[in-house]
Amino acid sequence: MFALSSKKRFNNKLDKLKQQEESGILAAKKAGNRTLRKLLNNRLAVVGGVIFLVILLACIFAPLLTSYNPLKVDMKSILKGPSADHLLGTDKVGRDILSRILYGGRLSILIGFGSALGCATLGILFGCYSGFKGGLFDSIMVRVSEVFMSFPQLILVLMLVSILGQSTKNIVIIFIICGWGSVFRMVRSQILSIREEEYVQSLKVFGLNDFLICYKHMLPNAIGPVVVNITLSTAMFILEEAALSFLGLGVPLEIATWGNILNSAQDMYTLQNNWWMWLPVGIVISLFVMSINFVGDGLRDTTDPTQQG
Amino acid sequence: MLKYILKKILGMIPMLFIITFLIYFLLDLTPGDAVSHLMDPEALARLSAEQLEALRETYGLNDPFVVRYFKWLLQLVQGNFGYSVSSGVPVSQIIAESLPATLELSGTALLISTLLGSILGVAGAIKKGTIGDNVLTVFGMIGVSIPQFFFGMVCILVFALNLEWLPVGGRTDPSVVSFFGRLKYLILPASVLGISLTAGVMRYARTSMLDTMNKEYIRTARSKGIPEWRVNLIHGFRVSLTPVVVLVGFRLPTLIAGSVVIETVFQWPGVGQVFNAAVRASNYNLVMIVALLFVIMVLFASTIVDILTAILDPRVKLDS
Amino acid sequence: MQDQTVISVKNLKTYFYTNQRCNKAINGISMDIKRGKTLCIVGESGCGKSVTASSIMQLLPKLSRIEEGEIIYHSEDRGDIKIHELERNGKEMRSLRGQDIAMIFQDPMTALNPVYTVGWQIVEMIRAHENVSKKEAKARALKLLKDMGIPYPEKRIDEYPHQFSGGMRQRAMIAMAMSCNPKVLIADEPTTALDVTIQAQIFELMDKLKKEYDTAIMLITHDMGVVCELADDVAVMYMGNIIESGSAREVLKSPGHPYTKALLKSIPILGKGANQDINPIKGSTPDPFNRPTGCQFAPRCDYACDKCNEAMPEENQVGGTHMVRCIRFQEVMADGK
Repeated sequence: MFALSSKKRFNNKLDKLKQQEESGILAAKKAGNRTLRKLLNNRLAVVGGVIFLVILLACIFAPLLTSYNPLKVDMKSILKGPSADHLLGTDKVGRDILSRILYGGRLSILIGFGSALGCATLGILFGCYSGFKGGLFDSIMVRVSEVFMSFPQLILVLMLVSILGQSTKNIVIIFIICGWGSVFRMVRSQILSIREEEYVQSLKVFGLNDFLICYKHMLPNAIGPVVVNITLSTAMFILEEAALSFLGLGVPLEIATWGNILNSAQDMYTLQNNWWMWLPVGIVISLFVMSINFVGDGLRDTTDPTQQG
Repeated sequence: MLKYILKKILGMIPMLFIITFLIYFLLDLTPGDAVSHLMDPEALARLSAEQLEALRETYGLNDPFVVRYFKWLLQLVQGNFGYSVSSGVPVSQIIAESLPATLELSGTALLISTLLGSILGVAGAIKKGTIGDNVLTVFGMIGVSIPQFFFGMVCILVFALNLEWLPVGGRTDPSVVSFFGRLKYLILPASVLGISLTAGVMRYARTSMLDTMNKEYIRTARSKGIPEWRVNLIHGFRVSLTPVVVLVGFRLPTLIAGSVVIETVFQWPGVGQVFNAAVRASNYNLVMIVALLFVIMVLFASTIVDILTAILDPRVKLDS
Repeated sequence: MQDQTVISVKNLKTYFYTNQRCNKAINGISMDIKRGKTLCIVGESGCGKSVTASSIMQLLPKLSRIEEGEIIYHSEDRGDIKIHELERNGKEMRSLRGQDIAMIFQDPMTALNPVYTVGWQIVEMIRAHENVSKKEAKARALKLLKDMGIPYPEKRIDEYPHQFSGGMRQRAMIAMAMSCNPKVLIADEPTTALDVTIQAQIFELMDKLKKEYDTAIMLITHDMGVVCELADDVAVMYMGNIIESGSAREVLKSPGHPYTKALLKSIPILGKGANQDINPIKGSTPDPFNRPTGCQFAPRCDYACDKCNEAMPEENQVGGTHMVRCIRFQEVMADGK
């Protein structure tokens, strides 16, 4: 019954396409950027993009959206539920949760994006040269990245936190130390496959400087997957910062970040009775990370010519 | 095959040297007296400055760095991991007490997520474009996007606090001895720990399966007139299995690291919690030893994955 | 009976619907595949040769369907079976595949499953259609491999496809295809991916099978040389239409379509030296989404006139089984070689 109806739907869809084709509508619609059109056809990517922009803009324009200071303690109104005054209530020391989420988002997103960008920079810098040069430099770099990648990332982060201490700057540095390896490998393998192409050979014959060939002529052809990777690792670092701060080992507790807001809701009492302290911020993190992933996936699919449909 | 396995295991040795060296290097950088890692804190407190200096000499702490490293490594191999500064308990004892709990938790999570992830992924690929597939895709995305600890908190609220089906946390209760009684404690943390891997495996299995189903040999299989389930499972899934196993190996570090967070959320008495507490207390020796343990777990797991890949895919050259 | 038709295709239309467009990959073709004969389908890549084969086997990709026309399999014991009405992967279609109609694919490198041994894959085929034990099936697989001229079959049967060379793999493919004694063998460019010397061996093998088992063969190729060697009947395809068909002698001796003629002229003849006059066909195949209004070949044709742009020419019977779709076929044929 269901199978029959789905088959019928499929046939109807094809009938419609045939009709359109015969009347020449589809031939006319050919113009426009194919990649962009494909991305816009991906409904999930579009929805992701919208959610991403909404959260991002809300965080950037936080001062316009809320008049509360995220750090201001107000002992007269502690643990208030959502109300007209405080849309998402207040925490144990009377700070407005909504403003904490918005201002905290600024820092969380900045940490995530900054770390991803830092990883990409280091990874591209080393990966490009390593893949192009080969030899001893390459094998040493590969080994080094292997060592870094054999540590479970969070463990390495925690180890370094225990040594370097907690601060926003340290967190970003640690994230970059722990995360550059994967970008390095990705860029290196891309460069390795490009290295054998004719145009690179001919550039070498021209006697062009190694750095020029590698960063000016080869890198642009290898950059596509890296861009997708930056979006996806931004999401990963945001999650990691949240986990770290949740454990109380991330950004110092007095600074508002998404992870720190969740940190204050660890006890069972808060969990059960003050849902506004942790549920909204958890949902915001999940939504934001999800939207980045949707956009990243969409980007990857559109750049992949084997996908049809 | 046996030769290949042996080769893979021997191949781990240089890596182990590099990692232990790095860890000892970091340990050496940490503030605090190295003597304190080596002996019972209470005994240490009773020592005078001269005695301490004499101890340093006997332990060789004034030796050059490389010599100290090899002495330290020798101790490790003999099972002497030093002492925890904060409690005075030997590290080996701490690990012996907490490791089984962690293995139980991550092992269960690994099993659930690999099985569930592959089944759902393959089902999604076979039924590509249907409502069920779309629902699975969105769930997969939620699974990889939601912070694990947040998911854990929601689960505790729903299943433990409101519905009261399952306990809030802990590994077991002294009063419970039955297998199912203990299983109740395992369900929530293992599913929460496994959620991200399940979603990851599912997404990957789906892509991999779709990729395989576009291959020529699938058309050959269809042209043979065998039933569709055989085409999907015996031909399609069997080939897609290799990349899925590789992915699981690749994601294992994340699973192991996740146990640090999940054990804290669910008060699970495992290595992860020990690690977390040690980092907070700046208990460096314990931090480094546990980190080493995690790395060794990852190394072993990835070696096992390599071997599994070789078994699954006849194209992997055994002698290279 | 001499000319017993095993599969007849009538006015078949198969359209593709990828990328939100509709591509008329096959636009009304008719042909007969006869017992003990080789039908060669010739044409450039993208002309619909492979789609024809996939339509007969019902192995079309998801976003495509048979729009019109019929494919009828004249079986010996079950009467006429309307293939075009069968469900794609349904039970009836599956029982035809492998058992009655078997197929060999273009690239033996990718057409065999890399994770199973060659023997396993042949045994799977046999056991899918016949109720025999694993042991029996394996013995038959061994005999097949031996018959196909694979050296050391006892050892080779337990090896994986990647351990085979290209030619050996194609022999293994043929062994698999022949394992249930099919009435029809469809070969989709079986030698394109192979060395020239291996090509000859594979064709020799197929010719032998045709004679020994009276199998009907549908051979898809873009190589006119192969057609001259092997074909009993020929169908020339261009942009989804059969533009000329008939017995090999008729079509090759006196081609009636400028395209066929051009194809024949474009093959170099061995031993004639480097100075021979090879005429490549000018231009390239049109965009399937932006087809010429009349005869599809008109923009590239030396004989084209205004009338050619009006409509696709009708089928003209020019004696015997010879059919041409060109309005100026008489002039073309009169022009000689």
